[in-house]
Amino acid sequence: MVDYVSALSIDFNLIWPEIALLIGASVILLGSISKSFRPVIPAVALISCIVAMLLASQQWGHQGSGFADMVTCDNFGVMFKQIFLIASIVTLFLGFRYLKVKGLNRPEYYALILFSTAGMMVMANTADLVVMFLGLEIMSLPLYVLAGFNRRSLESSEAGIKYFLMGAFATAFLLMGIAFIYGAAETTNLRRIVTNFSYIAYDYNSTAIYFYSGIALTLIGFGFKIAAVPFHSWVPDVYQGAPTPVTAFFSVAPKAAGFAVMLRIFVFGLSGVELLTTAFWVLAVLTMSVGNILALRQDNVKRMLAYSSISHAGYILVAMTVGGADAVSSAIFYLVAYTMFNLGAFAVVTVMETRSGCRSEFSELTGLSKVHPYLAAILALFMFALSGFPPTAGFLGKFYIFSAAVHKGFIWLAVIGVMNSFVSVYYYLRVIKTAYFDEVKGKVTPVVLSPTVIIALIITALGTLGLGFFPQQLLEFSQAAIFGMP
Amino acid sequence: MLEIIIIGTLKVIAVVVVVLTCCAYSTLLERKVLAYMQHRLGPIYAGPWGLMQPIADGIKLMFKEDIVPDRSERLMFMLAPIVSFIPALLVFAVVPFSSDFSMFGYEIKGVLSDLNIGVLYIFAITSLSVYGLVLAGWSSGSKYSLLGGIRSSAQMISYELSYGLSIVGVILFANTLSMTEIVNQQASFWDMFIFRQPLAFLLFLTCGIAETNRLPFDLPECESELAAGYHTEYSSMRFATFFVAEYGYMLAVSSVATTLFLGGWQGPFLPPVIWFLIKVFGFMFFYIWLRATFPRFRYDQLMAFGWKVLFPLALANTMGTALWVLLTDSVN
Amino acid sequence: MSEYLSVLIFAVTGAAIVLFTFFISKLIRPHNPYPEKGVTYECAEDAIGDSWIRFNPRFYIFALIFVIFDVEVIFLFPWAVAFGELGLFALVEMVIFILILFFGLFYAWKKGVLKWV
Repeated sequence: MVDYVSALSIDFNLIWPEIALLIGASVILLGSISKSFRPVIPAVALISCIVAMLLASQQWGHQGSGFADMVTCDNFGVMFKQIFLIASIVTLFLGFRYLKVKGLNRPEYYALILFSTAGMMVMANTADLVVMFLGLEIMSLPLYVLAGFNRRSLESSEAGIKYFLMGAFATAFLLMGIAFIYGAAETTNLRRIVTNFSYIAYDYNSTAIYFYSGIALTLIGFGFKIAAVPFHSWVPDVYQGAPTPVTAFFSVAPKAAGFAVMLRIFVFGLSGVELLTTAFWVLAVLTMSVGNILALRQDNVKRMLAYSSISHAGYILVAMTVGGADAVSSAIFYLVAYTMFNLGAFAVVTVMETRSGCRSEFSELTGLSKVHPYLAAILALFMFALSGFPPTAGFLGKFYIFSAAVHKGFIWLAVIGVMNSFVSVYYYLRVIKTAYFDEVKGKVTPVVLSPTVIIALIITALGTLGLGFFPQQLLEFSQAAIFGMP
Repeated sequence: MLEIIIIGTLKVIAVVVVVLTCCAYSTLLERKVLAYMQHRLGPIYAGPWGLMQPIADGIKLMFKEDIVPDRSERLMFMLAPIVSFIPALLVFAVVPFSSDFSMFGYEIKGVLSDLNIGVLYIFAITSLSVYGLVLAGWSSGSKYSLLGGIRSSAQMISYELSYGLSIVGVILFANTLSMTEIVNQQASFWDMFIFRQPLAFLLFLTCGIAETNRLPFDLPECESELAAGYHTEYSSMRFATFFVAEYGYMLAVSSVATTLFLGGWQGPFLPPVIWFLIKVFGFMFFYIWLRATFPRFRYDQLMAFGWKVLFPLALANTMGTALWVLLTDSVN
Repeated sequence: MSEYLSVLIFAVTGAAIVLFTFFISKLIRPHNPYPEKGVTYECAEDAIGDSWIRFNPRFYIFALIFVIFDVEVIFLFPWAVAFGELGLFALVEMVIFILILFFGLFYAWKKGVLKWV
């Protein structure tokens, strides 16, 4: 009898974090059947996230692959796993009271978040296109459901359907792209694709055409996931319609997962394709500019944050255009920082939305500074971070990215990026202005700050400030993350 | 090469003719058996014991006007009977009906086509048959037909799972998907898979009845509430095709059951083909017996039975069989 | 390949026989449609409303569950064929796989998805 365990190089150490999440999610789903188990469900979700986090940190520094080369474990993946887990932990905290207030307190929320996070971790943990696709699907399917989680609300259902249709459409592109790449390179393993690359790409016959169209289609597929312009049209409606904690999750985690895969494929793997640099240049400029300009005109905070998240994807695309160790480590730094302050901003919106009849319009922010000075201050902090003021993490993130761009000679790109940051200041500061200086009409309904939300706010605020004051630690981590990447 | 094609074609024609004849006479069998079970005589006027009855029925239906309702989707309406008939027939392509024999100096295989994935092929083809019913139900433009078509699709897919799983138990023992190979492994009486897989046999039989929409699972047709269901609007030869398809499908399930569980054509004294026919018609008799005995299920009972009883049982049977195979292997 | 060829011949022959009988029947049967004949049957009353009525969405849910488990069953076929060589390892893997899917069925069951109201 053949020893299949070693023949297939099955090594569970590579996938324990994912397994922990999946077990947690399954326990939640099965436990949801009994009424008496329901109160502990959030705790189960939280514990499995923390366990996954610990298990993932155990993987730091280990380089290995297994499962017939389908799973690759490296620092890069571990770094991203931590980002996803932080995002999902904060989302779990955010959801706790919000769901109760909105009458959505169903255990599936927690399970779906965990499933989706597990999918992202699969995406970050592999160098094989098929497994990446698998991870993408595990990530996306729960997200479609989560977007339409408030199924009694028209907007949420619309968000769910829209996200599902666009996502399925993008998935088709992605799959077609993978098929083309497979046809040209005769493998789906990224490392072997890179090895074969030299004679595919310069071989100006049909193989190269298939290869390039494969890359283009893959780029479109992931473009949808990270909401790069011109594949962004679903973002505002979905972000506005979905329940706010879910929106917070959307704006951070799937984006980070998309970037993890894109960095692996396009920046590390196919760094030799010159066309890609041009493509990313155009994408980055479009994404930054369109996102920022459209955000100027929004009257709804959630929609504004949706467009702002598009523009932030643009900044990270700048780093991808530049390429090289500095730019990539700054992209990772930016992703971590962005996770912190964007989640924080959405956390404040979530808190605001727990008031009845609140639709997170700008006008509803008036008088916040009088009633809740601390909340207003923390909101201001996140807005400053989003617009990139020192001493927040937002400033350093942008600074690292643009300085990397300048070093590599992408002066114009940096200039456009900085100009975009200036534009964005307008609408971020508008939030602060509304909260602090606008006249209060009528009575301001106070919000209830539950302990879980306070924890989420503290985590994100500390992250935003801490990374701003002490960036060195994270920078070292992100440099270590890309150390040894091909 | 030419020889092979000629022999192949002749064999195909022979099988088609035999299958169609069997279908026709199954209707007579059904009417006769039902009649005797209900203390009636059944058809007696056409020929001795009504033996000419199927032919008379066929001729009568041929002379009937073919009505296409105004509201129907014409093309689909016309195609549906063919779509439901072909899969029923195609199953017989891989069923070994006899041992290899020689005739006129040629060695002839006892099966039309010995596919190495025979069982998978049958599983695939039988699941196609649902399309015919759904198309018929949808294209007729009648509420009864639509409901009948939808019901039948839900019923067939629900029972298909256990249907497939019950076969897996046999494959675990046989380690092959070839039908011929499976028959060869049941050479002696106690080797028949029914003795090693009794539960799977029962599951297969039950699901087979549900798959063919026979009583007590004939919800899609259900004269009393749906007025014949998916073929309400059909008349003339198109109706006859549905009828033949239904009986063909019953024969198909019977012969697959015979092959997988009862050793196919294996048997002492009599020629293999005869043994095969005896076993198949034994199943057919069983079908009719059931019809005479049981009332119809209610729809929710039917779905619950499929999902909550049969499917878990089939899963458990599969896993148990795997464990059994593993244990006996390691003992040897 | 010739094995599949005979399957093809078989299918063609079957279709030909059906079409042939349709053709014969077309030659000999009467053809006399009038509007009352073309009316949809609805217990001898005039049909009310559209025929493509809405039906219970539960059918879709069953179809969705079916797709999941049908893939499982198809996956079991090659597993069962190769089981003799694979041994304990394959059994454990498959038990895990089936357990996960069975959890899904159990969940759907308890959530009342399988209940036909």
